[in-house]
Amino acid sequence: MKAWQRLIGNKKLWDKFFLREKIIQAIRFFFIKNKFHEVETPLLVPWVIPESYLDVFETHLKDRNKRNIRKMYLTTSPEAYIKKLLVAGIGNCFEITKSFRNSETGSNLHNPEFTILEWYRIDADYFKILRDCENLILHLNHIVRKNRGLSPSNYIQYQGKFIDLKPPWKKISVSEAMSKYAKISFADTIYKNKSKTADIFNNQKILKIAEKKGYNVKETDTWEALFNQIFLNEIEPCLATLEEPVVVYDYPLPVSALARRKPENPYLSERFELYIGGLELGDCYGELTDYNEQKRRFREEAEKIKLEKSIKINIDINFIEALKIGLPRCSGIAVGIDRLVMLFLDTNNISDTLIFSDMYK
Amino acid sequence: MAKINTSDFQKGIFIEFKSEPHQIVDMQFVNPGKGSAFVRTKLKNIKTGKSQEFTFKSGESALQIPIEVHEMQYLYKQNDVFVFMDNNSYEQMNIAKETIGNFSNFMKEGEIYQILLFESMAVGMRYPKKVRLLVTEAEEGTKGNSVTGAKKTVILETGVQVTTPLFIKKGDVIAVDPETGEYLERAYTK
Repeated sequence: MKAWQRLIGNKKLWDKFFLREKIIQAIRFFFIKNKFHEVETPLLVPWVIPESYLDVFETHLKDRNKRNIRKMYLTTSPEAYIKKLLVAGIGNCFEITKSFRNSETGSNLHNPEFTILEWYRIDADYFKILRDCENLILHLNHIVRKNRGLSPSNYIQYQGKFIDLKPPWKKISVSEAMSKYAKISFADTIYKNKSKTADIFNNQKILKIAEKKGYNVKETDTWEALFNQIFLNEIEPCLATLEEPVVVYDYPLPVSALARRKPENPYLSERFELYIGGLELGDCYGELTDYNEQKRRFREEAEKIKLEKSIKINIDINFIEALKIGLPRCSGIAVGIDRLVMLFLDTNNISDTLIFSDMYK
Repeated sequence: MAKINTSDFQKGIFIEFKSEPHQIVDMQFVNPGKGSAFVRTKLKNIKTGKSQEFTFKSGESALQIPIEVHEMQYLYKQNDVFVFMDNNSYEQMNIAKETIGNFSNFMKEGEIYQILLFESMAVGMRYPKKVRLLVTEAEEGTKGNSVTGAKKTVILETGVQVTTPLFIKKGDVIAVDPETGEYLERAYTK
């Protein structure tokens, strides 16, 4: 039976989807109340942000004789277009839209088409966005509880844990997390001895660390792959046990595509990820405004895509042009709405949040 | 032992992990945002029964453990142990409920099932995609028989309860997905 067929006469199931509706309405209300503009950006676009780790959906725009005019893509996020609007002067804004990522089947946390929320604040530090996250999720929790006829509370139950949403949320830097959970002295090398800082970013060094830990390593493994493998095996499972939201911040530059470098430490970026109950809910950047650096990172990524996937993609040169005119200092975040709904529905499967969840099977 | 890659990973297969035989009991694709993708697995040590999670880099290789598949007849259940007979050797084998998992709810005495063996030890079972079982108890469907969405609970010959559409009657043979326990279709009426 298809998911939508199960809805017939099934009040409990309808209630789940009505809760999703409520959550999306409450998000919209929250941002409108905070004087954010709601924007709409295109889904079908001629350029993409080159991200070698994402697979884009490709198609062709055709003329009336069915001849190909140009390659088109479905957006993997609205980021590039929202930033063009920021350059044009829109100010604080948000968007609730669809995004598309290919080759992500076989996961309880991904759907090829998903609903994404992005918001941007002008003249704001990335931790200002964290305040927004705290307020937004508390607000949503109140709405959800009210909808269920429950009294107001800061607690949320997720997968058997009672999570206290009371701000300020716990913050842990990547280097702290690395030394605390993975016993790698990231912090020392990064903060105390600037000349040694680059050391940890050395492929050979992390390769040796990973090998000693018993990972299966190859000379060709990239720094990002090894860093992420250690993070996923040794840090993420520990974050999942915490009974409060946790914000992991200041990621190494090689794992942050569009984030700004930290002025006081060139090896780190202004970025945080938000986890609640082990669910990764959002990815926030102090936005990179330097068009030269953005161009360089784009070229590197495009080169990687060409090497790894043997395809040539069209880089959004328009976006670089926009940065050249000047992106105001700002911070922004992408939040997976389906994952937020997972949290409030207390489910570990994204398909429980989607009426048409099984169409790709 | 054959060397395989994460793209060959599947739920249910057996691999060597940290020099011990493990079964992949669950797997998830993970994309941490920047850098390559990963495969998060739940691995069950088939010697100790202990489970642990491990995240492999996409493309990482592992040794697949050769597992023998023996056809065995299910004879009877004794407490939490299921007694089978190997169709080739006629030897009897006791298999614990944990090894079979939820599928035990759908097993019928006398039927033949595929048992997975590692060094002569039963480590799992190859589940059919669907099983056909007789409905032994069902309430009469009342009015609204034609409404496709309405549901009721029936009891099958193995004693397990399944949710079905209203038109299913006692004496029907229905197909069920043993992994999810979901009703699939009516096979025929006895």
